[in-house]
Amino acid sequence: MFARRRFAVLKNLLEYVGIEPDRLHFSWISSAEAEKFQKTATEVCEKVAALGPAKHLIKNIRKVA
Amino acid sequence: MDNKAIAEKIREVAARLLSQGQVDCVIGYRQGSVPMRERPFFAYTPEEAAQLTWTSFCCNNLANYLIRRQFGEAGKVAVVAQGCVSRSIVGLIKENQITREQVFVIGVPSPGMVDRRKVQATVGADKLITAVNEEGEELVVSGPGFEERIPRHTVLRDNCYTCQQRNPVIVDELIGEEGPPTHGGDIDAVAAPWEKLDPEARWAAFVDNYQACIRCYACRDACPLCYCHVCFVDETMPQWCGKTQDEADVLTYHLLRAFHCAGRCTDCGACESACPVGIKVRRLTSKIEKDIRAMYGYTPGMDLESTPPMSVYRPDDPQDFIK
Amino acid sequence: MAENSEWRPRIAAFLCNWCSYGAADLAGVSRLQYPPLIQTIRIPCTGRMSPKFILQAFRKGVDGVWVSG
Repeated sequence: MFARRRFAVLKNLLEYVGIEPDRLHFSWISSAEAEKFQKTATEVCEKVAALGPAKHLIKNIRKVA
Repeated sequence: MDNKAIAEKIREVAARLLSQGQVDCVIGYRQGSVPMRERPFFAYTPEEAAQLTWTSFCCNNLANYLIRRQFGEAGKVAVVAQGCVSRSIVGLIKENQITREQVFVIGVPSPGMVDRRKVQATVGADKLITAVNEEGEELVVSGPGFEERIPRHTVLRDNCYTCQQRNPVIVDELIGEEGPPTHGGDIDAVAAPWEKLDPEARWAAFVDNYQACIRCYACRDACPLCYCHVCFVDETMPQWCGKTQDEADVLTYHLLRAFHCAGRCTDCGACESACPVGIKVRRLTSKIEKDIRAMYGYTPGMDLESTPPMSVYRPDDPQDFIK
Repeated sequence: MAENSEWRPRIAAFLCNWCSYGAADLAGVSRLQYPPLIQTIRIPCTGRMSPKFILQAFRKGVDGVWVSG
């Protein structure tokens, strides 16, 4: 519940700087909801796959050196 | 009351507090070694109090110097505080860094502080400014072969234009008269200028804004909210944020720094004034504070009673983003 | 598109020990199929979750982050 406030602020912040909203997912799933877990996992994977590889915030060691 | 009269009054009050032994020290500003760079000053004796000043360039947040302070005999220090600084002091009291009894607030309704970069840009980047005098609402800027009069309100710092609380929220002794609480600017309208861009342009604006960063941490050190013993940028096991000037490291640092200020930032602008390369450091913090006002109806540091927003919750907090 | 058929996203999933981690376990024993792209990281509680973890995941090159409590 405290985490919810943190996530809300963080998600807004990351969207504000231009990270695609679909890269970051949050969900509440109880330990009895295996089906919801399956459904959400599939959905997350589909959405991220649709976006293609991440471009932002990646630390590329070779580029730095 | 103009700034010169306020400065006079600050010196008088500081000398009185010190000679009566009410406080160990008066934290205020004194003239810097170059124009437009007033610096924090710690007056321990009534004689030293004569060096205190008050101008349009008092950009540091003095609440910063209350953190982990060694208190002397009187167990109390006095701080010259405008609206934002007093709000930071309230924040520190709430976060149990100091107690209300340890601090004597010399409250000064803020006239809005001036951005030295804007002054320099107004007279021309190639001109050497050797003196700035204040005459009422005008700054008289002079240097070799030129003198220019600039109205103060045209060169205020960004955060001062949209100030929401000029008058100190806690006061032990007030200097000057309380004015209207705001400077008239609408903070919600300018807090998040990138919001209207599309995601790619937002990212480009974000990278562009921070790319000059040299990782000196002046913004962190100027900030009265950043008082962790070990900052996350100094942690190495695990290392959350690399120490290079690589884009990913710089942006991670600024994102996390801003996030740590969530629900605490009083928009004093000390970070922006401290930045040696002139980055608009407030871009992220002002966006977060706007969100917090919108989602939780909270403005930091306005009173001693309310609970900080990130340490409470309500059952009906927004959660559309959670599946 | 040829490149896309090769590429598979990598997703870091931060799962709460008591909620979603249990759900993932139950999904496993129930033989429910879900994509093998998520890499599960168990956290003791969603309250343990810090923005540092999310940014660190992005820095290390994941394509998506999923936090579930």
